[in-house]
Amino acid sequence: MSSIPNAESFLAMIETNKGIIYKVANSYCRNEENKKDLIQEIILQLWLSWDKYDTAFKISTWMYRIALNVSISFYRKEHRRNQITHPLPDNILLLQENQQQGHLSYDVEMLHRSIRELREMDRALIILHLEGNSHQEISDILGLTTTNVSTKILRIKQELKQKLSHLQSKK
Amino acid sequence: MEDLDLINLWKSYDKKLEENLRLNRKNAEDITKIKVTYLLSSMKPIKIFTILVGIIWIGIIDTLIINLFSFASIFFLVSAIALSLLNKLALGIYIFQLILISRVRISEPVLSAQEKLASLKSSTLWIARILFLQLPLWTTFYWNKSMMNNGNTFLWTIQILVTLVASYCSVWLFRNIRYENKNKKWFSLIFAGGEWSPVIRSIEFLNELGQFKKEEDSAYLERL
Repeated sequence: MSSIPNAESFLAMIETNKGIIYKVANSYCRNEENKKDLIQEIILQLWLSWDKYDTAFKISTWMYRIALNVSISFYRKEHRRNQITHPLPDNILLLQENQQQGHLSYDVEMLHRSIRELREMDRALIILHLEGNSHQEISDILGLTTTNVSTKILRIKQELKQKLSHLQSKK
Repeated sequence: MEDLDLINLWKSYDKKLEENLRLNRKNAEDITKIKVTYLLSSMKPIKIFTILVGIIWIGIIDTLIINLFSFASIFFLVSAIALSLLNKLALGIYIFQLILISRVRISEPVLSAQEKLASLKSSTLWIARILFLQLPLWTTFYWNKSMMNNGNTFLWTIQILVTLVASYCSVWLFRNIRYENKNKKWFSLIFAGGEWSPVIRSIEFLNELGQFKKEEDSAYLERL
């Protein structure tokens, strides 16, 4: 294990992997204000754990674990974690105006909606799968066996397709 | 819809995101100025307030016990000591639970971290169960020798009845404050405050995780 308590390297890591943070937060939070808070909280927790980052793991594995753990806990609180605890800066990740969620294609919007309807752990699994992680990586991130990762992915994909077809039929 | 369609759809979103997502470096830098997190600073004010009220309350009871020890009635002393012990136990569990929650490593695999967090949060119901046990003590602390010597049958009938009802209620609540009863009216009445909803949600989530793991076990058995 090596210690890397360096702000510069941390910021570079966030810059390179900002998509992971945004996509996880977006899958657990629809409300824009809550999403901002969740992104802040994920980045804060990443920073607070940065000096304990174990280089034996891929940086993405470490990031997914923290982002998912924070998002699932945040989601469960059912209300905004307000800034009484940490006076955090606003808007760390920004989507450019003309490419806000509303401008995404209808199918992508429906995919997000269907994902958000899944249970928390199923949601985590499918995001990791769609992100192109191998079953071994997903098993490292979630703490499941690889065989069970494949079984569950099959089941969740079926569920997701049904939800999507249902939504698309209403189109 | 085919698997490939799902992945391609996600990829198209990913591409758009890659092109349009910007990091506000100044704001991200501000986060790196937060150096240390203490348990106290990461706690909601309501939790600190609860701990402070608990400490003050136990302090008042203990001061009374010490100062009145030589001349207070045995009923007062036994009730007050039991009350103090129950409150200390509940406060101890509350603080211990907060410390354990703060020590769960957020970089652990998601399933185990969430299981630890949810089971710790859900154990808050234990605090309520313990605190309800003190109910009958509030009906006995004022008993004294004068009441024993001069009290009439009517007074003692009412007194014993009240103590028995309080004892029954406290034991009943101790046994019945369980997640399975969450839809009962009395349960919603007791746990109506906003502070309780994360606890109830944690128990629900713990059940979901249990199902998630059960799925894992049955899938494993099917393969055998």
